[in-house]
Amino acid sequence: MLDAFQLLLQLDTLLLLLLGTALGIVVGAIPGLTASMLIALTLPLTFHMDSVNAVTLLIGEYVGGISGGLITAILLRMPGTPASIVTTFDGYPLARNGNPERALALGILASVVGGVISWGFLAGMSPALARFALQFGPWEYFALVMMALVMLASLTQGSLVKGLLAATLGMAFALPGIDSSIGQQRLTFGFDALLSGFGLLPVLIGAFAISQILREAAAPIHATRPPAIARARLPVHWSDARRHGPNMIRSSIIGTWIGLLPGIGANIAALVSYTTTRQLSKEPEKFGTGHEPGVVAGETANNASIGGALIPLITMGIPGSVTEAILIGALTIHNLQPGPLLFQNAPEVAYGIIAAYLVANLIMLILMWSAVRHIAAITQLPRSGLLATILVFCVIGSYAVNNSFVDVWVMIAFGAIGLMLELARVPLGPFVIGFVLSPIAEEQLRASLMMADGNVAEILGRPYALVFLALALLTLAWPVIASRMARRRHAVSSAP
Amino acid sequence: MNRAAIDIALAAAVLVMAAALFTGAATLPPPRFEPLGSAAAQRILGGLLIVFAGIVGGRALLALWQARKHQPDTPAPTTDGSDDGKPIRTLVVLGTLLSYVGALDVLAWPFVPVTTAFVVVLGATLASPRPRTLAVFAGYGALLAFALHTVFTRFLYVDL
Repeated sequence: MLDAFQLLLQLDTLLLLLLGTALGIVVGAIPGLTASMLIALTLPLTFHMDSVNAVTLLIGEYVGGISGGLITAILLRMPGTPASIVTTFDGYPLARNGNPERALALGILASVVGGVISWGFLAGMSPALARFALQFGPWEYFALVMMALVMLASLTQGSLVKGLLAATLGMAFALPGIDSSIGQQRLTFGFDALLSGFGLLPVLIGAFAISQILREAAAPIHATRPPAIARARLPVHWSDARRHGPNMIRSSIIGTWIGLLPGIGANIAALVSYTTTRQLSKEPEKFGTGHEPGVVAGETANNASIGGALIPLITMGIPGSVTEAILIGALTIHNLQPGPLLFQNAPEVAYGIIAAYLVANLIMLILMWSAVRHIAAITQLPRSGLLATILVFCVIGSYAVNNSFVDVWVMIAFGAIGLMLELARVPLGPFVIGFVLSPIAEEQLRASLMMADGNVAEILGRPYALVFLALALLTLAWPVIASRMARRRHAVSSAP
Repeated sequence: MNRAAIDIALAAAVLVMAAALFTGAATLPPPRFEPLGSAAAQRILGGLLIVFAGIVGGRALLALWQARKHQPDTPAPTTDGSDDGKPIRTLVVLGTLLSYVGALDVLAWPFVPVTTAFVVVLGATLASPRPRTLAVFAGYGALLAFALHTVFTRFLYVDL
């Protein structure tokens, strides 16, 4: 781990981390633009970097992207990212009550504390979890991928069936190309361009960046002026450690553990933490009126969830959200397979991710603390210019992968597909993660069946695989169980 | 558009996708060297897509039927109530993007002027078509295109 920190403190790596975090904060602060979009757009630029530098840049963007959302959430009541929705509940009223500096200071401090505590879990748990995951064979991996997909599809907001449909569609789009097991062409329908399948990057940029820009294009453009930040110094006091310390620790733990579970995400982590803090508070009626613990709970948990989500990513190669799916793509592009072997094959990358996460949080603190006033001004840039610039970047980014316009057309096609799916309220998260995980699931299932001579019953002798599949089934059945329980409770309470 | 109608269209599109998967699977040889074979994943996913399309489409049809049954004289709502802004701008941006990529790929026009024109058209669509705005976007577009061209061709060896 110390070696990773030493590697990170080299000038070029540190500058990239600084750049990534700064970019992330700016993009996170602009409503409509997200960390996943920024990471997808930056991915092509990392081809020419070494793997540690590439991952460092992207981790900086991730941390900055989630943290930056608090600025507009507090100043404009427009969450820069979905993770900051909860911050608007108390952050905005606090700013409107004449205390924007205090709201920002608490939000920034809470974000850093959440990040640092979840880093403790990430650094402490990851190597041990990776050693444990080395016992997994193809059956366990197949079951784990299925569990992650089902949980992700089920827990995404909206209809369960549409979540599962999205994951299945994403998996289907990963099928065209040469079947790696036997070298057979499949679903290419005679098009040579499909021989290598749909590239991950054009699909990601299309589904997220293009579809989002097309949606943003239709949205009315409002110009809202944020409240002025009068004081140059953000006010925090030592007494805040006593006042908000327990809340920060509790919210960090909630955020980390929710981050660990695939598909739940930073916004739900913030909401659960906010609700818990409110329930435990002696003054619950003050929440929503500019109450400081509300800002602290949401911002601590959303940042802590990043550390939690990175644990299954680097130990088992399982993405908890779209952003992690893109990070998996980044590792794959650099010929690295995320999972337990990452600690053996490329320890500098595995430990580099862990170290970069901590340093990015500290850089985020310095940047946001010193430049929050200027970042708030950036959010007033005309959105039309921003969207035009991003579209040009999308085209060049997709083209740069193979110096080929086929990838650009694929990107546009997936942008249109993403837009249609969103119109039909089909969530894009499971779609993209299905696309990323489909080849892994198929490969592991085929390897399992080959080892078992085609005997599916072999899985019954694999306890971990059975636990994963049971959890997946439980997740699927949970809505029915929950509704029956609610009906029974209702019947009992309404009985004379 | 009515939400039920959107869901029916979604179910139809998913069924087309499932049909494509089954058609593709039919052209593949049976498993030879391993138990599962190349076509299995397509058949499994195709089957799942049909099931999900059936549920989504069935629910939508049921909702349509119930809405007609309960309100026979009133026309079905044409929107789901959400604020869609100006969808025409989405179409214009998509059309401009297709033209831009077509100009670069099919017509092989040079990157800098085409990108400048692309930024100007987007500026006119998303901001305002006033001459002053267009001039600002033209200057910005030219600067952006030139900077990107220089960085990508000279430093990253990407042939724009």
